[in-house]
Amino acid sequence: MEITKEKLLSFYETMLTIRYFEEKAVELFAAGQIPGFVHLYIGEEAVATGACANLTDKDYITSTHRGHGHLIAKGGKLDLMMAELFGKASGYCKGKGGSMHIADVNLGILGANGIVGAGQPIATGAAFACKYKKTDAVSVCFFGDGASNRGTFHESLNMASIFKLPAVYICENNMYGISNNQKNHMNINDISDRAAAYGMPGMTIDGNDVIAVYEAVKEAVKRARKGDGPSLIECKTWRHRGHFEGDPGVYKDPKEQETWVKKDPIIKLEEKLLEHKVVTKEEIAHLQEEAHGKIEAAVEFAKNSKDPSLDELLTDVYAG
Amino acid sequence: MVTVGIIANPASGKDIRRLVSYGTVFDNQEKVNIVRRILLGLAAVHVKRVVYMPDYYGIVPRALDGLKSQDKLPLEVVPVDLELTGTQEDSFKAAQIMAECKVGSLITLGGDGTNRLVAKGCGNVPLLPVSTGTNNVFPVMVEGTIAGLAAGKVAGGSSNHPQAVRPSKKLIIYLNGIPVDIALIDAVVIKDVFIGARAIWEVQGLLQGVFTRGEPHNIGMASIAGNLLAIGSKDKAGLALEFGEGGSSVTAPIAPGMIVPVKVKTYEKIKLQQTVKLHHTPCIIALDGERELAIKEDDEVQIELTFAGPSVIDYKAALQ
Amino acid sequence: MTQMSYVEGLRDGIRIEMKKDSNIYMAGEDVGIFGGCFGQTAGLFQEFGGERIIDTPISETVIVGHAVGAAAAGLRPIVEIMFIDFIGVCMDEILNQAAKMRYMFGGKAKLPMVIRTTCGAGVGAAAQHSQSLEAFLTHIPGIKVVMPATPADAKGLMAAAIRDDNPVVYIEHKGLLGFKGEVPEGEYVVPLGKADIKREGTDVTIVAWSAMVHQALAAAEALAQEGISAEVIDPRTLAPFDKDSVLQSLEKTGKLVIVHEAVKTGGLGGEIAALVADEGFDLLDAPIKRVTAPDCPVPFSSYLEAHYLPSQDKIVKAVKEMF
Repeated sequence: MEITKEKLLSFYETMLTIRYFEEKAVELFAAGQIPGFVHLYIGEEAVATGACANLTDKDYITSTHRGHGHLIAKGGKLDLMMAELFGKASGYCKGKGGSMHIADVNLGILGANGIVGAGQPIATGAAFACKYKKTDAVSVCFFGDGASNRGTFHESLNMASIFKLPAVYICENNMYGISNNQKNHMNINDISDRAAAYGMPGMTIDGNDVIAVYEAVKEAVKRARKGDGPSLIECKTWRHRGHFEGDPGVYKDPKEQETWVKKDPIIKLEEKLLEHKVVTKEEIAHLQEEAHGKIEAAVEFAKNSKDPSLDELLTDVYAG
Repeated sequence: MVTVGIIANPASGKDIRRLVSYGTVFDNQEKVNIVRRILLGLAAVHVKRVVYMPDYYGIVPRALDGLKSQDKLPLEVVPVDLELTGTQEDSFKAAQIMAECKVGSLITLGGDGTNRLVAKGCGNVPLLPVSTGTNNVFPVMVEGTIAGLAAGKVAGGSSNHPQAVRPSKKLIIYLNGIPVDIALIDAVVIKDVFIGARAIWEVQGLLQGVFTRGEPHNIGMASIAGNLLAIGSKDKAGLALEFGEGGSSVTAPIAPGMIVPVKVKTYEKIKLQQTVKLHHTPCIIALDGERELAIKEDDEVQIELTFAGPSVIDYKAALQ
Repeated sequence: MTQMSYVEGLRDGIRIEMKKDSNIYMAGEDVGIFGGCFGQTAGLFQEFGGERIIDTPISETVIVGHAVGAAAAGLRPIVEIMFIDFIGVCMDEILNQAAKMRYMFGGKAKLPMVIRTTCGAGVGAAAQHSQSLEAFLTHIPGIKVVMPATPADAKGLMAAAIRDDNPVVYIEHKGLLGFKGEVPEGEYVVPLGKADIKREGTDVTIVAWSAMVHQALAAAEALAQEGISAEVIDPRTLAPFDKDSVLQSLEKTGKLVIVHEAVKTGGLGGEIAALVADEGFDLLDAPIKRVTAPDCPVPFSSYLEAHYLPSQDKIVKAVKEMF
């Protein structure tokens, strides 16, 4: 499979954008400018980027509490996202959802989600709708290792399999459910083993290698579009930060952290692009500057936006 | 003291071929079961010590843990001193350590990919490769108990059959004159720049191939050679070919359940110590079914056929 | 007008809507060939086929959860939770997903979905198949809750629930399924959030819903013999609740009795009483009475169950205490 230069550059740009968005969130949260909880995607950028590169606006995704990366990779607008983090009226959800509930239904983003494992049934339902309406759209469900221990995982994968739904279940296995290493919470090493229980293909891939993720999800999406049913892809990855901002991550072995930080997906891609002369160092610097610029503009937009008006409190509870 | 090594790869049987073809999901619980039977086989032929590669899942400790109390093993089971990386390195390094501490034989659980790594490190220790991977040309389908008995007899010197241990072939890959890697079955050159999801399952982009065997009953790329010339694992010859139009067309099982037509422009039988020059760069070289080496435009690559592969235990002969 | 049972009424409501809009489908446990646990969906599989009347595994979580995703993606699912007692199994999907999605997304999602379920004691089904849990649901802003009492309302409220762009929980009472009555033919819609005066009266207002409407009507009949004129108001939709109808009636009667089959503590009766105390205190000339099930699980024994349930006699007794 050959990947065009444009595609490789778009991977790099997307991953950088996610990284800088998250690093900005760290800064803003520490400065007390963002309320609530923020769960950051730093270190896992390759998964969302490689996966969403196979999707169009007609395809659906469901995301998680650690959702910024998925939203950016699926085309979410940075200014509306940042404004939502600030709780401003101009945000994606008019300031009523916040970091954990950003959605853009027109882009097929059926929301980040504050409940671990809740995206799985929703993604399954979106896949059902794709099949029912006889479109060739697919539904991609992002979830973590912890969510694979929930009943929603079982019910969703079982239903998707029996109805042959066009769904792709992407498990971001970053090894930890908050403070607990999954070794303590599951008696298997590879979550993809669970696919066999549902009669669907399952595979494990290096989640820090954007090209590998892209390639694997491409095949799963192709399979789903053709009507051949769902698949489970486990991406082994690592979150560089704590579970949420403010969690120092004392439960992690510093040596393990060090090993994984060396496997940073952005650095890995950057090295490959330079090695194969896809880009020059100058171009990299330029792309970095550009990505920083976009984030700064989004922050400016958010800061200049107004708080929601008081009557927003009671609107949008019901439609119509 | 009669010592046997065990290298059970927890990552074998989980790659993208579950998605793009019909590869078996080899869950680690089954590997645990096989190791349990191997241990009982080893104990029955008076092996006193087993050294094993530790892994994140703990295949061997779990195998011990699940033994019935009446089956208490009269042998010592210890891990080799290895800092785990969770990568391919682990199998290679474990094999190296086992060779250094002079194990009498070594049992591997994996596919062609796993055995290639072990072969890089195991020196002249006789291998008994038990198949638990996807494309299995090198390892054999053998019941764990029997594998334990056979490898134990070889290690203890109680197997006198002249065919119990035989040499194998290997390909040596030279990059700019320096040996950088090996393959036990095949080296296939692909028109690509990045390694991605590692496994190969497409015939598009195939450029060149060098094979140690030509046996039509083999699965994977080696089946292409098998459909052109009959070359057994004991024959002092190999095969080199150029893919493309204008020559023969063979139908080959290149992955589980994938039987596809392949165009071969030219092919020739090669002798031992003959080298094949690679003339398409940049490219990727897949070794024993997995994309491993990214070759740059100005690199020079040669592939040599040798009979310097690992010694392999023929379990049927060993037990006679 | 034609004679129909309650179950025929609700099924007629579903059938008419499904014929009009191919985006409507139904999914649930045994809703297909089997026709539903109480025959609610009988014949629909034959009429609409397996693509639109879908038997699911016993997986309440994904039954409701998938409906959320399908509705967000443009379909109009009707899903069945066989007994309301099973709602605990899929509560997150109702509480945190269906009910919240629109608000959390700043109004940018629409979730037209109906969750059909059954409630009610009286058939010896014991503690896990008999409850009335509507107050669980009315406590959650973002969903609507409907509990019809008659065949006509069953049909008209079903049509309204399906047409509504919000998640609606439609609660059928097991004891009413065979109850017969006059039902308008063809398309018939009863707007959500609108109460119905089931019997006019001047001396006391009895607010009752679902099966209790019929106990209240029987009580009103008995009270009439004793010279007390009771007005029976059936809110039909519990969320949103039609408080104006109740307050208007109280202007006439000055006395309020609330009857529900659910247990007393935390029941919707308490909320209605508080609402009237807040907004209609001056209309009252007696303390508000509640006739409800006691605060215990539904017992199995027919003898105990009969005593557990609110009844015509208990309503009559409560009303008489006010005079």
